[in-house]
Amino acid sequence: MRSIRFGYGISKPRAIDIDSNDLRKSNEILREMPELQTCIGCGSCTASCTAGNLTQFNFRRVHTLVRRGEYMGAYEEMNKCMLCGKCRLVCPRGINTRGLAMLIKRKLGDF
Amino acid sequence: MKRRVVIVGGGAAGMATALGLESRGVEPVIVERDTEMGGKVRNWHKLFPTFTPASEILDPLRRSIAERNIECRTGVAVETVASDGVTLAGGERMAADAVVMATGFTLFDARRKQEYGYGIYDNVVTSADLEQMMNSGRVRLADGSMPRRIAILHCVGSRDEKVCQSHCSKVCCITGVKQAIELKKMFPEADVFNFYMDIRMFGPGYEELYREAQQSYNIHFVRGRISEASPMINGRIQIKAEDTLTGRPLKMSIDMLVLMVGMRANDDNGLLAASASLDVAPNGFMQSRDPFTGAVRSPREGIFYAGAVTAPKSLADTLAEAALAADAVVDYLNRTQR
Amino acid sequence: MTFFAPFTLPFIIGAAVMAAVLVAKYTLWTIHLPAEDKRLIRRNMFSAKSLAAVWEVVRESLLHVRIWRVNPMLGYMHSSLALGWFLLIAIGWIETVAYLGWGWVPLQGHVFFKYFMPVNGIAEHKAGFEFAMDLMLTVVLSGVALAWIKRMRSRLMGMRRTTRHVAFDRIALSALWFVFPLRYVAESITCAIYGGGSFLTGTTGKLLGEHLDSATLDALSEPAWWLYSIALGVFFVAMPFSRYMHIFTEIPLIFLRRYKLAPSVEEKSYDNFEVEACSRCGICIDPCQLQADLGIDDVQSVYFLRDRRYNMLKLATANNCLMCGRCQTQCPVGINLNTLRLNSRAKLRNIPNEGRYGYLAGLDRSTGEGRTGYFAGCMTTLTPRTLAAMNAIFEAAGDDVWRADSDGGVCCGRPLMLSGETAAARKMIDYNTGLFRRHGITRLVTSCPICLKVFREQYDLDGIEVLHHSEYICRMIESGRLHVDRSDELYTYHDPCELGRGCDIYDEPRRAIEAVGRLAEPEHNRRNSLCCGASLANTVIDDKQQRRIAQRMAAELEATGAGTIVTACPLCHKSIERVADCGTMDLAEVVAKNILRDKR
Repeated sequence: MRSIRFGYGISKPRAIDIDSNDLRKSNEILREMPELQTCIGCGSCTASCTAGNLTQFNFRRVHTLVRRGEYMGAYEEMNKCMLCGKCRLVCPRGINTRGLAMLIKRKLGDF
Repeated sequence: MKRRVVIVGGGAAGMATALGLESRGVEPVIVERDTEMGGKVRNWHKLFPTFTPASEILDPLRRSIAERNIECRTGVAVETVASDGVTLAGGERMAADAVVMATGFTLFDARRKQEYGYGIYDNVVTSADLEQMMNSGRVRLADGSMPRRIAILHCVGSRDEKVCQSHCSKVCCITGVKQAIELKKMFPEADVFNFYMDIRMFGPGYEELYREAQQSYNIHFVRGRISEASPMINGRIQIKAEDTLTGRPLKMSIDMLVLMVGMRANDDNGLLAASASLDVAPNGFMQSRDPFTGAVRSPREGIFYAGAVTAPKSLADTLAEAALAADAVVDYLNRTQR
Repeated sequence: MTFFAPFTLPFIIGAAVMAAVLVAKYTLWTIHLPAEDKRLIRRNMFSAKSLAAVWEVVRESLLHVRIWRVNPMLGYMHSSLALGWFLLIAIGWIETVAYLGWGWVPLQGHVFFKYFMPVNGIAEHKAGFEFAMDLMLTVVLSGVALAWIKRMRSRLMGMRRTTRHVAFDRIALSALWFVFPLRYVAESITCAIYGGGSFLTGTTGKLLGEHLDSATLDALSEPAWWLYSIALGVFFVAMPFSRYMHIFTEIPLIFLRRYKLAPSVEEKSYDNFEVEACSRCGICIDPCQLQADLGIDDVQSVYFLRDRRYNMLKLATANNCLMCGRCQTQCPVGINLNTLRLNSRAKLRNIPNEGRYGYLAGLDRSTGEGRTGYFAGCMTTLTPRTLAAMNAIFEAAGDDVWRADSDGGVCCGRPLMLSGETAAARKMIDYNTGLFRRHGITRLVTSCPICLKVFREQYDLDGIEVLHHSEYICRMIESGRLHVDRSDELYTYHDPCELGRGCDIYDEPRRAIEAVGRLAEPEHNRRNSLCCGASLANTVIDDKQQRRIAQRMAAELEATGAGTIVTACPLCHKSIERVADCGTMDLAEVVAKNILRDKR
């Protein structure tokens, strides 16, 4: 069964298989927002996240998985975001994180 | 007739360059804005990666400057530079056959990242503050007690678009490791956590020190940047980060937060550059002629660079560059001999 | 007299098409108005509001008072065309009545009166009417000349940029440009043949008569009237599909607005009146900082409304707006540009909301009570100096405070609304409303103008007074509960968009600053203040572009010579602090710094 757990389950997550993952959506997202590639994974977005303070939503993890072609559940997770914009204010790379949250939802609404 | 070279800046770079020039028969004059020679190193306690007291490097430099009667003008700022001399604040002109800019850097003002609470809460200090505390021989919390849990945050004012400092300050990683060990030595009972984005151990002995910090001193390294610090009712500080290696947000209360402040370009680089048609790099530091053989040369003949004026550098790199700069100046003077 | 000539056909057909389309459009829009809007119309139609609307129609649709205020040159251009043309029609009608009595005269009889009745029997009125008609024609022609100039060299008209148009606009525009010159030519030729006319058409007629023989004049007369009629006909057919739709649409709009109709977070039929009342004058382009600082020149309100009207609006256009509201303050038609953009975003968002934010249920474990609730706002946790200052102020004022989000609250919902996710925002709104109601507060203070705006506009908080901290602080100082020391320090103040234009709070922050120091105003302030660039409303521009906008606005603040830039919004604070060389402080910090503790 293809499933990615964004929460924490007992079973070990399977490997990310770049060979079999369809990277088309991921490439589309990166084409619209190339600055996402500049993410250095510092976690500031997740640490400051208003929604992440209340639930297990992890913005960095979701957008990193999306970049690897792991889309399952990404839309549902991203819907937890309140779009408050704090993450954009702390991102040391100046990534338009709020625009990214909306972009991922738009691109992955049907996954 | 002895040729005269004005060196702007009396820190480690300026002094070492002056000594190099003097030993080759050139007459150096150092102009230092501060009232005392020594620059930033003066306030440093011990140097990475060997824990050598900073005074062991600085004192011989200062002593040699005094012994060789090198002229030092302290307490005066330079307003313009040119290949044939400098103008001091107040308008005095100092003629020279060449000029070396060794003006170094400015420490990032941690108050600009107010989410870390520097200047707002007690016990949030910068790496520079900690060195001063160690110099004074007393590292304590504001209430005089000893910290039980300390967090060290790397990259404050470095690699951060949000404060317009996109460059890496190079020395903070190893400084963070060094200070973690020092704190652990002072407070063996305390837990020390280093919060980092990347650990960049570029120099000889650095990686070894990092490993030693982990293995011998049990210092915890957490991969994640602290996003906010807030006060707690009991006077401690709560910090928030993501532990990116587990993918979970992390909260902890600490007694002391040490911010590894970065090196930023001096505010007057732009004005000095404009006065001599020099280039300023996008990050505000002076632009060398090229990063390989022209690292100590400016694009203009007769104006040279030494030390952190061109980019963040360790003291070791700075001293090596000072020697290079002295070489380059002598070479230039020989070529342009009247 | 039948008042018919073949050349009048283009005019008659054009006028009929225009009338039909106008009636159809207005009828459909009115039928589709939501029941609530219809009730408003019924309730207000027979009230003084209608009289006020009539007066506003005269002021705005004819005289264009608001455009005069923004730009006198443009004002003259618009009123010369609108009022001039209106008077041409009105005087023409009176003239017909004066000569022919109250009998029925078909439309073309009025319009081409000169053709049908070149000379008439009532000599004593003649000179007066001829003079009036010539005068009005001159006024209109001067307006047309200015319109030409505006198209060629917009800077001469005090506009850096003018609007780029769609095909219908170009057709209508070209026709309109020719209508009056052609009328001038046609009337002059008629005057040359039959005499009459005043200083304009009469003089020109005389000149033509001297240089051309009567056969030539006769041969020119019909074609000239044909061309005039064709120009009118083309203009009328193109009009309802072009920007000139605003000429008529502004009239129902003024009435509906007086009846308290307004656009809302979801698109509705009323929006049509606002969208089509846009004359695409382009006044909104210059104040836009995306244009001025970043050179983005296809997203401004005029283009947004145009694209929306012709169903070619792209999400990227709708989203690329700071919603600072600077254009809205200048719009001569008073269109609710921000609300229309918001409901377009809501329509285009394409994100189902079902099952979102289930995690909010059972989240509330809040405790405590207090008379005053303090909601710092998400962003304010990143400006802890403001938080510390507010703590000091609450303490000094001796207020009994319950902190709504000290443990991390739920977002106020405004950011979601700004992205068009209205239904989702409702969940935040309901959650927070419940939270506020549970703790016995009678006053809610927030440090974030973004929260303030949504609290005031979307929350149902009856019995709880919602204040921005600038209002709270100002009130505490003025009521003597907070004693502050006044120093000689010079501050400058940046009006946050959401606080100033958004909530109309301009004076309280200034009064609070002046209670502790001196205040220097930047070049753009109050309703014209610049945006800091970090606006949550824009999800298109990148970090560097945000920074460039911030640099420009901060430079203006620094030019005041003040030692400290004061603002009252955590988002503005962050973006100014990032680029300014001088210090940046929140209003609360400035006041807290000057609290006199021993006076209490």
